[in-house]
Amino acid sequence: MRTEKFKKFATFVLEPIAFGLLALLFILPTITVMNLQPITKALNNINVLGVGNKAELKVNIVGGTHQIFSQEKIDEVDGQYTYKTILTRRESDRYSKPIIEIINNKAQETIVEIYGGTQLPTGSDITMIISDQVYRLQAPNGDVTSHKITLIPGQKYIIFLAVETFSDVQFEEDFQLNIKELSF
Amino acid sequence: MSKILKRALKNTIIPAITMIAGKSLGVFVVSAIYGFSLQIGNDINGIFSTQIYFQDREVTQFVNSISDLIMLLSLAVPTMYLIIKTAIFQSASNNPKTIVKVAEFNMLKWITKDDTSFLKIFIWCAFLWIASALVIRNGIQNDTYSWIAILAGGISFITGLGALKTFEVETNKVYPDSKKYY
Repeated sequence: MRTEKFKKFATFVLEPIAFGLLALLFILPTITVMNLQPITKALNNINVLGVGNKAELKVNIVGGTHQIFSQEKIDEVDGQYTYKTILTRRESDRYSKPIIEIINNKAQETIVEIYGGTQLPTGSDITMIISDQVYRLQAPNGDVTSHKITLIPGQKYIIFLAVETFSDVQFEEDFQLNIKELSF
Repeated sequence: MSKILKRALKNTIIPAITMIAGKSLGVFVVSAIYGFSLQIGNDINGIFSTQIYFQDREVTQFVNSISDLIMLLSLAVPTMYLIIKTAIFQSASNNPKTIVKVAEFNMLKWITKDDTSFLKIFIWCAFLWIASALVIRNGIQNDTYSWIAILAGGISFITGLGALKTFEVETNKVYPDSKKYY
């Protein structure tokens, strides 16, 4: 009698765990395969005398998966970098993600101009965060602001993209961020 | 715990491992064969934050395409095998001509034991559909060659039809076709 009760109890407890495990056996390989997808990024230059970096500005995509920021891409044409992503449908909230890392391998300070936004104003407040400093890229009315950021030599900067909306957005938006090194 | 759940758990492990192994082996083997330098980074925080980097866009697309193809084939081949095996087994039990043909091709082993269930085929198909969905998504995003995405679509469609046919066979075992008896 006791054994039967224990069996019933074990079934009662084990069945939901087994269902969860079964779901995990489908979810984990899917996420793993998504993360195993290679992305393009400038690798460290290694010379024969050891590890060395060229004296230049390096702009790399951070990558990874995010529920709102999808299909991230970065292209470089004549020293100007263009980061593109799709902002998917979302509920009213604030979303952020590290998108780009900039490394100043030069011996002197460098100034970069950063600007970007969506093609159509969607009422979203789009900002970027660099070293805990918030810079507004696009106001909810669609106005785009350009920012000049001074980069200290040998310093690595991670740019976070933040999107805040006060009402649900029911469509996808193409977002583009331009990064240009200013020459003197 | 129900028997079907136990069997489902047991049957899910191998395709799950095959899917991951196909993709990861594809990335590393292709990189090793062609001598592409890859870097493994962990720039973002959280679980599953490891990323594989290549320097050129073309190399990334090539490695991703081949690894997608290897993953797809590593899932498609066993799924097709299970479906064909079940179809031949079923056909052999109804049609003596099939037995003769199977004997000609020296495939009698295929029809001596029915160890393939619909559940097993469905689980393999589910993994193949997930893999195909990922490949098609990559194809749309231009991260994989479009012909691989089309191939993935075709394979998942064919295996879908095969799974449906197997389902019909299984349901006929439970609810036999009444026309046969009149």
